[in-house]
Amino acid sequence: MSVGNNVGSGAAVKIKSPKKVSQRLLTFAALLVIYIFFCFFGRNFFGYETALNILDASVYIGFAAIGVTFVIISGGIDLSLGTVQMCSAMVGGVLFRKLGMPFGLALVFILITGTMFGLFNGFLIAKLKLPAFIATLGTMMIAIGLSSVISNVQTYNFPARTEVAGGWFKDVFSKLQLDNGWTIPTGAILLLVVLLLANVVLTKTKIGRYTYAIGSNEEAARLSGVNTVLWKTVPYAISGFCAGLAGISYACTYTTVLPGSGSGMELDAIAATYIGGASTTGGSGSVFGTIIGVFIMSCLRVGLPSMDLQPHYQKLMTGIVVIVAVLIDMSQQKKH
Amino acid sequence: MKMKKILSTLALALALSVTLTACGTGTTVTTAAAAAATTKAAGAAETTAAAAAAETTAAAAATIAAKDIYIPVISKGLQHQFWQVVKKGADAAAAKYGITITFEGPASESEIAAQVTMLDSAIAKKPSAICLAALSTDSVMDQLNKCLASKIPVIGFDSGVPGAPEGSIYANASTDNTAAGALAATSMFPALEAQIKAATVAAPVRIAVLSQDATSESVKGRTKGFIDKMIELVKGAGIADIAVVGHDMYKNDVAEKSAAVVIDVAVSATTAAADLATSASALLNKSPIAIYGSNESAANGILDATNEGADLGAIVAVGFDAGIRQKTAVAAGYFLGSITQDPYNIGYQAVELAYKAVIGEAVANVDTGAKFYTAANMNDASIKDLVYD
Repeated sequence: MSVGNNVGSGAAVKIKSPKKVSQRLLTFAALLVIYIFFCFFGRNFFGYETALNILDASVYIGFAAIGVTFVIISGGIDLSLGTVQMCSAMVGGVLFRKLGMPFGLALVFILITGTMFGLFNGFLIAKLKLPAFIATLGTMMIAIGLSSVISNVQTYNFPARTEVAGGWFKDVFSKLQLDNGWTIPTGAILLLVVLLLANVVLTKTKIGRYTYAIGSNEEAARLSGVNTVLWKTVPYAISGFCAGLAGISYACTYTTVLPGSGSGMELDAIAATYIGGASTTGGSGSVFGTIIGVFIMSCLRVGLPSMDLQPHYQKLMTGIVVIVAVLIDMSQQKKH
Repeated sequence: MKMKKILSTLALALALSVTLTACGTGTTVTTAAAAAATTKAAGAAETTAAAAAAETTAAAAATIAAKDIYIPVISKGLQHQFWQVVKKGADAAAAKYGITITFEGPASESEIAAQVTMLDSAIAKKPSAICLAALSTDSVMDQLNKCLASKIPVIGFDSGVPGAPEGSIYANASTDNTAAGALAATSMFPALEAQIKAATVAAPVRIAVLSQDATSESVKGRTKGFIDKMIELVKGAGIADIAVVGHDMYKNDVAEKSAAVVIDVAVSATTAAADLATSASALLNKSPIAIYGSNESAANGILDATNEGADLGAIVAVGFDAGIRQKTAVAAGYFLGSITQDPYNIGYQAVELAYKAVIGEAVANVDTGAKFYTAANMNDASIKDLVYD
């Protein structure tokens, strides 16, 4: 194990950090530029209300993106997180509405479902050596099918504010509206907590060190005595757990969960991770960069309609941003 | 520095594409009374309109200049031609009253999150009123309460916003979907009457129903309206053993094997065309005597499964809404006919109601109507404009 520690905490990781900091500053600057642009050209864009809207559109993608950052740093990919997110939410909805489970417990089962999917992915990839792309593609489809099956292709609604059972749901995971008219974005605060936690795990613990090590050079890590089967599974389990969190957050913000939905949502989370400076070949990336990526996308999503543009332009713009962000990353790597 | 260069190119590209798209869509999306007004001027005008709307009571609101009124119209999607005709009607009403509207909708009718974000953005723009066809009322409760609190009138259109908070929806411009579904059953029944009368438990007949979802009120109403009316008609023909099977939401207590008439309801796994076609094939494989598709997607699903209707044979098919494919099938006689709503009227009435609500006039629900069209009458003046391509 001590050898493994050397690999993880060794120079390979530390050398990269100064570059990544400047990269993160650049992405942050891009976010500011976009925000200020909309403040000038959007209709009533600048203000607390719009800021809350941006948070609303960010939180659920944020959770999913934090999770997939672990996977991407480990050199893998998780295509299943969008549909796993919605399938987990559906499990909670069915348990609560159809089987009468207490709402709080149903939420726990959402997290368990997400984590189980993640462990399943990890098992396929780390133990059975299936390529991550194929394994998670399969899980993605399983999740779509499962959510349709358990819901009998019915839509499930999560509790509204006025409901007795679970009426606290929106207060805790989305927004708390105070009597004096103030709105506290509790969902965003929770995201911040998870973000800080994820950062600690990634930079200060064995999980993080081994994730970077496997992403940089899996063979070297294995030869140094790292149990790669175990430590390659962990990022997928984290991603699955975060997909469960994202499912809770989505269900809270948008209330209605459609059967068989979620495909495409993983792309938002993955794109955010790359905008945030993660490398496709693994070994680099940070959760802070990822979150900035998420906000860039949400800013576009909320900002473009304020200029009377359809939000579909957000996809178009995000595509451009992803390409440019990775180009900048590559040009920097050449310099080093 | 090379990096700096790339960054400035990025900024430029970003700014350029935003400006370009803004120019490109300005004319199509926004129907401004003062078409010459620049974006900036329009923006300023909206702010004053919103400020005025917020402060004034209904009586004083009548003094708002029409050009200061901004109404975002949020539809359920833009993918079907149906919505393009709704937009035409909305644009016509906006032009008549000289007000500014924007017409928007998510890329597909399953993108609830996209529509919620759209509505959030619309409210943040402090509009005079909002026209809304909600994909899911439960998803927009907070937003509707916010409109209610800040006295922004909301007008429901198409399927409207059923179950909205008391007082937030000023009026609806919509088709009575249950009545429209019943009209489909009534129109289809004469062609089936002989076979239904001859049906027994030993030799049952099936009537297939295809719906794209079990979520939206409009599709639910049309499906339920059709089933209930069909049961009534079949009972009227002297057959009492009717089973409704398939989807949980619609099925009854009668077992399939003890029924003379089986109404088989399928709800597609998703709203994607391929899934609707699969569901249509599954229904048709059980040899029904008739099939009903409760919206344009469902009708197209039937067409996908039957070589554009040519393989339907003796199966009596009735669709809903229009679109060039469905129209062709009706004209060729593959479909007995289809039910059309009046999408133009839906759009027109929605904006007109919103305008009236803003200037403080009393508004009430408007039934925008439905008609049955066949190869024989689809070119009549009264129908022609309703069946869009």
